[in-house]
Amino acid sequence: MATQTIEDRLRAEYFSLLPELVRVRERLEAEIRYHLLPITQELVRYERILISARVKGCISAIDRLRRDMEFRTFAEEVPEKYSLLDLHDLAGVRVSVFPQSRLDKVHDLLTAHFREWIPDPFPYEATGDFRAYKYHGHSEASKVVVAEFQVVPIVIGLFWEVEHDALYKPLPELKGIGDDLEMRDRSAQVLRALRAFEDEFEKLVTRGNAAGPKLSN
Amino acid sequence: MTTAVATKKAILDNAGYAYDFYHMLYFNRDARKAFSVEFVDDHDPEELEKRVQEPSDATGWQFYFNNPAVPESVRRKLESALA
Repeated sequence: MATQTIEDRLRAEYFSLLPELVRVRERLEAEIRYHLLPITQELVRYERILISARVKGCISAIDRLRRDMEFRTFAEEVPEKYSLLDLHDLAGVRVSVFPQSRLDKVHDLLTAHFREWIPDPFPYEATGDFRAYKYHGHSEASKVVVAEFQVVPIVIGLFWEVEHDALYKPLPELKGIGDDLEMRDRSAQVLRALRAFEDEFEKLVTRGNAAGPKLSN
Repeated sequence: MTTAVATKKAILDNAGYAYDFYHMLYFNRDARKAFSVEFVDDHDPEELEKRVQEPSDATGWQFYFNNPAVPESVRRKLESALA
């Protein structure tokens, strides 16, 4: 009989977990949308809150587990050591917010509800000078799956989506490119440019709103 | 790029190291050495330069990881991938 590789075992684990992952995603998204209603119902026209929910794909989940280890290679000596349940983002919700002044209110509302969830700060390389938050914990939909929610500035959230869909989705292994010293520097330049863009945009909107006709919701 | 990061980049470039994005390490086939991203991050340029310059072990690849306990199966897979 052919030997089952660690990847085979992880694939089987993924598909046995999938229905639970979908339940976690749906529950978390619904709760977050509900708790943000006091804000989403009062946004003025230039303000945006995008809520996106997802379940990590099978290949992406296995690759993430591999990349989290310094060797980036599963050790055959200890196959039982590896489980997708070690990941904190198998199911997750991202709340992308503009402007930054709204971001803190969104963060306060969600942390008031998800009190038990553990902060998991983004590394500086990921968000630069932007304020951005990430938490993980158990939703009521599952005692075993750890889920994640993020509150991030909209320019970062959309940049990550473009980066993910255009570059990494076809081949998740490409994610390692982002850790090259030169690439980190290029990413830092993008973050600085996005920050300057958002700051200027917000400044002009705020000034224009004060001087001209009030932008209504 | 900070001065320290730029210096590390120059050390690796000048010594002919390439980046393997799958294993996230810098490697040089002639020197038969490989440095993980974590090792490069956590050691200062002087230490990195010392490791890059030290003589290679003639018997096989030398891996520089923060976690020095490289399991045998991992070593075999890495050597095969980098060969």
